[in-house]
Amino acid sequence: MLELVPKPQFSVVIPPKLIQEGYLVHFPGDWPSTFTQIREKYFRIQATVPVPYDLSYIIPTLDYRDVDFSNGSGAFQESIYPEKYETLQEVLVGFKPGNFVSIWEIPAARTIDNLEYATMYNDITDPSRLYLGAHQPKDSPYDDPRIKFYLIKDLAPLIMKLYVLAGVDFEKIVVGLTINKCLMEEVSQPSDADKLKAKVIRYYEYLRW
Amino acid sequence: MPSQIVTAHTTAVQAVAERRNAVVIPTSMTIDNDAGAADRTIWIQDSFTPSVSHGVAVPVATVVDRYRVDVLMGDVMVLNAADLEGVKCLGALLIDADAIDADCHITVGYKHE
Repeated sequence: MLELVPKPQFSVVIPPKLIQEGYLVHFPGDWPSTFTQIREKYFRIQATVPVPYDLSYIIPTLDYRDVDFSNGSGAFQESIYPEKYETLQEVLVGFKPGNFVSIWEIPAARTIDNLEYATMYNDITDPSRLYLGAHQPKDSPYDDPRIKFYLIKDLAPLIMKLYVLAGVDFEKIVVGLTINKCLMEEVSQPSDADKLKAKVIRYYEYLRW
Repeated sequence: MPSQIVTAHTTAVQAVAERRNAVVIPTSMTIDNDAGAADRTIWIQDSFTPSVSHGVAVPVATVVDRYRVDVLMGDVMVLNAADLEGVKCLGALLIDADAIDADCHITVGYKHE
């Protein structure tokens, strides 16, 4: 039969997941003074190159691997940090399903997802606190990644601890990365509109108060 | 989905190679022992070398039995995805048998995930 579909009252525009060419970014004053090249400055993105990269590890049950994203030739280093100050790397992380959790630290041995009471931080040797701040694969699926971080040259090493839970002999952990390489050019005199539009990228210490 | 045919052998035969960013899921297995010489036991095995981890600094090549089935002489057994549910190979998928028999054919259907 005849059906008249009413005109929608509104529509939703979903912005792209990744920074695009022409976007503005701002590094506020909470960055340490050692980052003078970017601290308290505004940049316009001149070019972007999204680079896909899959990492995988087969790990025995109740064991873990510290995946260090910083650059170097260490056994656990994946070397995806930028080497130039004019490069910003926006990284999306997704996981294929499996029997494991991920725990995030920056710098090494300092977990991000803590609570305020003194002992309330992730501890993989404690059956209960193993799950405190532990992200499951479904939290950021491979095809719809939801964990995102930003890397610049000389940032402290970001560590992703991958822990295989009990119940399997081994697990294969597949980590899908999309590394959005962004070329930045400084905007020396940003307008008020630029300042409002710019994406603020804060130093990681703001996560701890 | 692709498939591969191997014959029964006491040295495990690789049916599917390892893919670094995926696991191998067998979706079907047909064991044609119609002309076979005897009753046969068939295993699906998983062959891989683990990564360096906190607990294992020097990993060694590992083979794990993932599935076992007995097939009578003169019989053809067909296993579908439901029969093989939960079977997952982290590395290469191997087919092993309790005897060498060129007349016992094993067809494995599989996908990568």
